[in-house]
Amino acid sequence: MTIGSMLGDIVNSFFKRPATGRYPFVRTEAPEDLRGKVVWNPETCTGCGLCVKDCPSQALELFTLDKAAKRYVMLYHMDCCTYCAQCEVSCRSKSIYLTNDEWELASTSRTPFEVYYGREEDVQKVLEPEPQGEPDLSPESKTE
Amino acid sequence: MNLSLSPLVELLFFPGGLVLLASGLVYEFVDRKLVARFQNRIGPRWFQPLADVIKLLAKEEVIPAGVVKGLFIFLPIVALTSILTAALYVPMFGLKPAFSFPGDLVVTVYLLSLMTLCIGLAGANTEDRFSLVGATRALTQMFSYEAPFLLALLGPAIALGTWNIGQINSAAGNNLWFIIAQPFGFIAAVIGLMGKLELPPFDAPEAETEIVAGALTEYSGRGLALFRIGRDVELVIGLTLIASFYLGGLANPLDFLWKTLILLLVTAALQSLFARLRIDQTVGLWWRIGSIMVLLQLLAVVVGRLIAPLIPFLSSGG
Amino acid sequence: MGAEKKPEKFVVSIGPQHPALKEPGHFEFAVEGEIVTSATARLGFVHRGMEKGTESRTWVQNLYLMERVCGICSAVHAMAYAQGVEKLAKVEVPPRARAIRQLIAELERIHSHLLWLGVAAHEGGFDTLFMLSWRDRETVMDLLEAITGNRVNYSANVLGGVKIDIDEVKSAAILKGMDFLEERTRHYMKVVTEDETFLGRTRKIGTMTLEQALRLGSVGPTGRASGVPYDVRVDAPYAAYQDFPVNIVTDTAGDLEARFVVRIKELYESYRVIRELVDHMPAGELTTRIPRRIQEGEVVSRVEAPRGELFYFLKSNGTDMPERIKVRTPSLCNWGSILATAVGHRLADMPMILAGIDPCFSCNDRMILVKRGNDQTVWTWEDLRRYGIEYYK
Ligand code: SF4
Ligand code: SF4
Repeated sequence: MTIGSMLGDIVNSFFKRPATGRYPFVRTEAPEDLRGKVVWNPETCTGCGLCVKDCPSQALELFTLDKAAKRYVMLYHMDCCTYCAQCEVSCRSKSIYLTNDEWELASTSRTPFEVYYGREEDVQKVLEPEPQGEPDLSPESKTE
Repeated sequence: MNLSLSPLVELLFFPGGLVLLASGLVYEFVDRKLVARFQNRIGPRWFQPLADVIKLLAKEEVIPAGVVKGLFIFLPIVALTSILTAALYVPMFGLKPAFSFPGDLVVTVYLLSLMTLCIGLAGANTEDRFSLVGATRALTQMFSYEAPFLLALLGPAIALGTWNIGQINSAAGNNLWFIIAQPFGFIAAVIGLMGKLELPPFDAPEAETEIVAGALTEYSGRGLALFRIGRDVELVIGLTLIASFYLGGLANPLDFLWKTLILLLVTAALQSLFARLRIDQTVGLWWRIGSIMVLLQLLAVVVGRLIAPLIPFLSSGG
Repeated sequence: MGAEKKPEKFVVSIGPQHPALKEPGHFEFAVEGEIVTSATARLGFVHRGMEKGTESRTWVQNLYLMERVCGICSAVHAMAYAQGVEKLAKVEVPPRARAIRQLIAELERIHSHLLWLGVAAHEGGFDTLFMLSWRDRETVMDLLEAITGNRVNYSANVLGGVKIDIDEVKSAAILKGMDFLEERTRHYMKVVTEDETFLGRTRKIGTMTLEQALRLGSVGPTGRASGVPYDVRVDAPYAAYQDFPVNIVTDTAGDLEARFVVRIKELYESYRVIRELVDHMPAGELTTRIPRRIQEGEVVSRVEAPRGELFYFLKSNGTDMPERIKVRTPSLCNWGSILATAVGHRLADMPMILAGIDPCFSCNDRMILVKRGNDQTVWTWEDLRRYGIEYYK
């Protein structure tokens, strides 16, 4: 039976540095294994489409430009991504993975959330489709 | 002390009116900051109370269906006015009270209570369930703390033989501090002030997890802003009263500053130390412990006054 | 004190939007003065159609959907689901993965119980306890973030194992965190069992007897505080609970204070078992392969979520999508206890009694269609949508 049993706490707290922070002005370190923005490596991707298939939030789209030459473009919808790392687990060639340095991804418009990965000329092609190189959205045809 | 300002300036700016409002906001800020630090938080920045008030003033005032419209608009104004009037009789900022007459202590205390009364009426005026419950609780609480608070302030008054705040203030400075002579009265006064202001743990009338904002649930915009400023100023006045009565009087602004701030530190600590009391617990606490404590104190004072004129009273003014 | 107009019942309705409720739910308390004379609850404001949603997603995708049934106990949902799928597919998860699953689940329990401690304190108007317990809770949140990479939906599980591993550095961090938390928790135990003002709000409030608890089917700490000796971790061990057992914590008082005590004692248990797990983490693989198409069958999977028994029913038709998934979350079992204990208490006690079961609204809001006769109705998304619009009109 005591009254004010947190007296010690409040006196302590009073002289301690506050536990809360002024976030946008003072930043904290992110842990090493933080799951940040997904990146994709066009050089090693085999175009199997497993990552697209397994992504629970349909955050990935794979455009096949030339299957034989392994020319693919990945469209990553950052706003859909839940940072679950399933794509990283599903990929057998380690072509898609989560980074740990980019995590302050908020934005006031939608455009920065559409991230195209791939060789520059391929991305160009996806963005401005020419009549012959029409990209097809082909996750279905690619699996297993 | 004897600056001669024209009464109009005194009323509008200093120490009345604007400066009073500003000081209310500053004290609210200090209070919030202190509580935050007691809880190991950073707390608001200095302009937060002002920003809140400006935001509220800029907002539309929604008048809900089912209220008496005039009363709804009128009550916040009455509340604020009564508080500002009360300030005139109190040695704000360590200056001499702007006005005074014998017995102004009683008037001041009642002007302060008018605030709670207005809040209670404001709650009862609406049809909102939360407001009604809040209003009943606010009034119930008022009836329980009003007596001990007044009695606590009467202690020094009786001991000094004057009911004039200004005289008590100057006499208190020349005496043994009443916090030592009448410790129970001091405790009752501090707790009574917290009850008056509905600060935690006596915030049952506006317990947000039960009844949202209590009696003021339906208020938004200007009305809410006025009530808030009123309460802030009431805080300053209350602290000033207690400091001048129990902490050896307020002789100058510096005196005022450090004494009220220390008091604020104490109340902030008390605010963070306890869980909210239910309204029945608040009432029980007051009537069972508070009043008896203060009554005994008062009895001691009266008896002391009767049997011992040996104590060197320097009731200079009276 | 009390309502002036006596003839009609004075009903205070709380919710769906109310500061005491962090999630939408609706309660109506009829009061006489401050005393509550009857209580009713209406739920279903956050029905999200998840069970139906699982039927159009693959087994892999569903893991992440189920993780989002609850934001506070996300890992146990994923774990219950993953364990069910693994049972269906008849694959054995490696011991290290099982231990890591248990580790994450226990860390989550710590975060959940500390969260509850803060929320309950806040409902009782004890904001300092609220702030400070949440400050300390950051320790375990940071640990979870450091281990899994996410602060809330950890996504530590995959079908067939776990994604993440515990190395030396993380083990050391966990042990350090546990020491700090244990010390703090012992202090909070003192506060909630000794502080006079707080006890005034918890002792002999919302008392539920053992008999009531059994009749109402209370689960988890709510039931255990009334003496129901039931804990899935003990009664039907999963993950690595066989090798790293926990002790069941019960109390007999059944009031709010007992619920505080039970939950805090469970925290001690969690600290102990986490230390053991970290010290004796079995070596080996983290995952096994699991087929994409799950063979036909039905399975029940149960785990002990921080709030009580979590129940999953999975049915597969041999494709890569489930046929039916049924979830029963612990909060659903505990609502009855609120309504049963509310009457006779003061209005001021209601938030505390509500918080006492550690309710989670969104995770128990699901639709039940009672089938009469043998009409073979299958609802499509469109039907559901239309029903939803009708329901909320
Ligand atoms: S992290 Fe998860 S949600 Fe994000 S892209 Fe990968 S699989 Fe999709
Ligand atoms: S899973 Fe890997 S290899 Fe397959 S499409 Fe995705 S990134 Fe390419």
